Amino acid sequence: MPRPAANTASAPAERRATPRPGRRRAPWGEWLIGYAFVLPATLVIGVFGLFPILYALYMSVHRWRVRRGAFVGLEQFERTVGDGGGFALFLAGLAAVALGHWLWTRAYTERGGWLRAGQVAAALTLVAAGVALSVGFGSMQHAGDPRFVAGLGRTFFYGAISVPLQIAIALVVAALLYQPIRGRPLYRMLFFLPYVTPAVAGAAVFRAIFSPREERLANTLVGWLGIDPQRWLFEPRPVGHLLFGDLAARLGIELTGIWAGPSLALLVIILFGVWTYVGYNAVIFLAGLGAIPRELYEAAEIDGASGSQRFWAITVPLLAPVTFYLTVLGFIGTFQAFTHLYVMRESAVRGAVDTASLVIFDTFYALNDFGLAAAQSLVLFAVILAVTLLQQRLFGRRALRA
Amino acid sequence: MHVALAVGAFVSLLPFLTMLSTSLMTLGETYTRTSLPAVPQWQNFAQAWSEAHFDRFFRNSLIIAAVVISGVLVTCTLAGYAFARIRFPGRDLLFTLLLATLMIPGTVTFIPSFLLVRGDVIPWGSWINTLPALTVPFLSTAFIMFLFRQFFAQVPDELWDAARIDGAGHGRFLLQVVVPMSTPVMLTATLLTFVNVWNEFLWPILVTTDRTWRPLSVGLYNFTQEAGAQTHLLMAGSVITILPVLLLYFVTQRFFTEGISTSGLKG
Repeated sequence: MPRPAANTASAPAERRATPRPGRRRAPWGEWLIGYAFVLPATLVIGVFGLFPILYALYMSVHRWRVRRGAFVGLEQFERTVGDGGGFALFLAGLAAVALGHWLWTRAYTERGGWLRAGQVAAALTLVAAGVALSVGFGSMQHAGDPRFVAGLGRTFFYGAISVPLQIAIALVVAALLYQPIRGRPLYRMLFFLPYVTPAVAGAAVFRAIFSPREERLANTLVGWLGIDPQRWLFEPRPVGHLLFGDLAARLGIELTGIWAGPSLALLVIILFGVWTYVGYNAVIFLAGLGAIPRELYEAAEIDGASGSQRFWAITVPLLAPVTFYLTVLGFIGTFQAFTHLYVMRESAVRGAVDTASLVIFDTFYALNDFGLAAAQSLVLFAVILAVTLLQQRLFGRRALRA
Repeated sequence: MHVALAVGAFVSLLPFLTMLSTSLMTLGETYTRTSLPAVPQWQNFAQAWSEAHFDRFFRNSLIIAAVVISGVLVTCTLAGYAFARIRFPGRDLLFTLLLATLMIPGTVTFIPSFLLVRGDVIPWGSWINTLPALTVPFLSTAFIMFLFRQFFAQVPDELWDAARIDGAGHGRFLLQVVVPMSTPVMLTATLLTFVNVWNEFLWPILVTTDRTWRPLSVGLYNFTQEAGAQTHLLMAGSVITILPVLLLYFVTQRFFTEGISTSGLKG
């Protein structure tokens, strides 16, 4: 870098005189450079990240089968979730869960009669939320697109089972890996491997393992436990029926809807999700563990707290922000999950594993109804946003306090 | 403790072991054996490679990855630097707007993106079955941009002041000072992007209808449909698909996990 020597000599004096040399120059040049630097990224992200949202709105109010057709207003939203009343009720139900939780935690800051009143109000709100959720869902199922609404239900199942499972296992793994044991990097690597594995390949392996054939791994393993070979990915029947079907029949109860649980095929797919994300979550938990001051553990140890007491009283609450982050990420991930579901779904289960994102893909790709698919995707987006906000209410507070 | 970890690691590894052992079996053995083949059938790999046209798909995936990675590194370095170190009107608003795309699910964007790439929205002709269809939409991501901005913001101001005095502008400072000291974050970005491109599936299904630019992920999927019951070949194909990612991960895993944990916590 050749440059005039005089410049260097005068530099220190100049700096002392004007502490912020950048301020003197006219800002135009600086602005221009800034805009030029952000332009390429802004173009790509703007065109393929931001613009599609607006265009999806535009598509959703037009008949659009491959090419654009007539303006149809909200008709395609009605075809998806009914007249809107059911969907609104469903979203209101989600909001009521948050409200109920807020009342419940608020109640404990009050005293005497207000505590009881707060608790009663919270309980009533939660009951109302449950009613709103199930009535809203029922109405959507009745008046909307049964395929999409059922897909939405499966998505919830998928998230509600897979996310807590992923996070709980990852927390235990991270806590174990945080101890000074030999081979930590090796373990960390082994747990993390599934996350970098291409989903198509991983799913192909799961298909081989969970094949209905008797000699394949899954059936061999359950065979050791004395369980008959299962049809796994080919099994559309709900887990509830498989496990408790006989018992329920004897008691004269019919397990339906949410009580029957997800299909066995969907459960295998959930297992795949858990297998993939445990390592990823554990790595992030490990980073969070590193931020907890060691002194806390030492102080607790002096006070005679046992290992599990320290885990529940220090590790779990202090990791709450990380847990919140992972929960949100996990739910967004399950709502978008596509590749492994697409690879593992068998036509034999007749759509028993089709989550909302698969239904949207089929509407687009197989039915070529672009407008309806756009409307469905926006509904899914609204649900994702609602669930994220709900989680913020439920965990965000606690996370902040910690 | 060790036992618990070992059991967990074994379960996590089990699908890989199954894949490997099955890929070395004969067709007959896939119907009768659960664990190991009697004699490893190494030729399965060659057979899967040629039957599934993996040479083509492998080449495609490598080219796509190279283009996307170069694009991401350039666009995100520039943008990350500007958002971290240059003041201009509307900067924070623009940054927030771009970052908001992280919240938008791919399920919403893929439909309009498809029309864009087909040339229905902007009349630039159809990109279907061409390299741009598979690369252009991915040439920049808000996530990597954010990662870079966080990193560049930590570069000490003294370095910039010194560069200014030497007569360097933003371009030269970025190229000669900032980029050379950013190797770790660049590696992280390279790896994350590579894994994403290698695993991308939904989008390539939409924009490739023939083998010309079809990537490995879709090639493997089609092979699962064609090879059907030939589980041993399928597993050999899966091993081939997984191998490059695993190798890269083994070599650079430190950057990988570090990148994820720092970015993850801040994201």
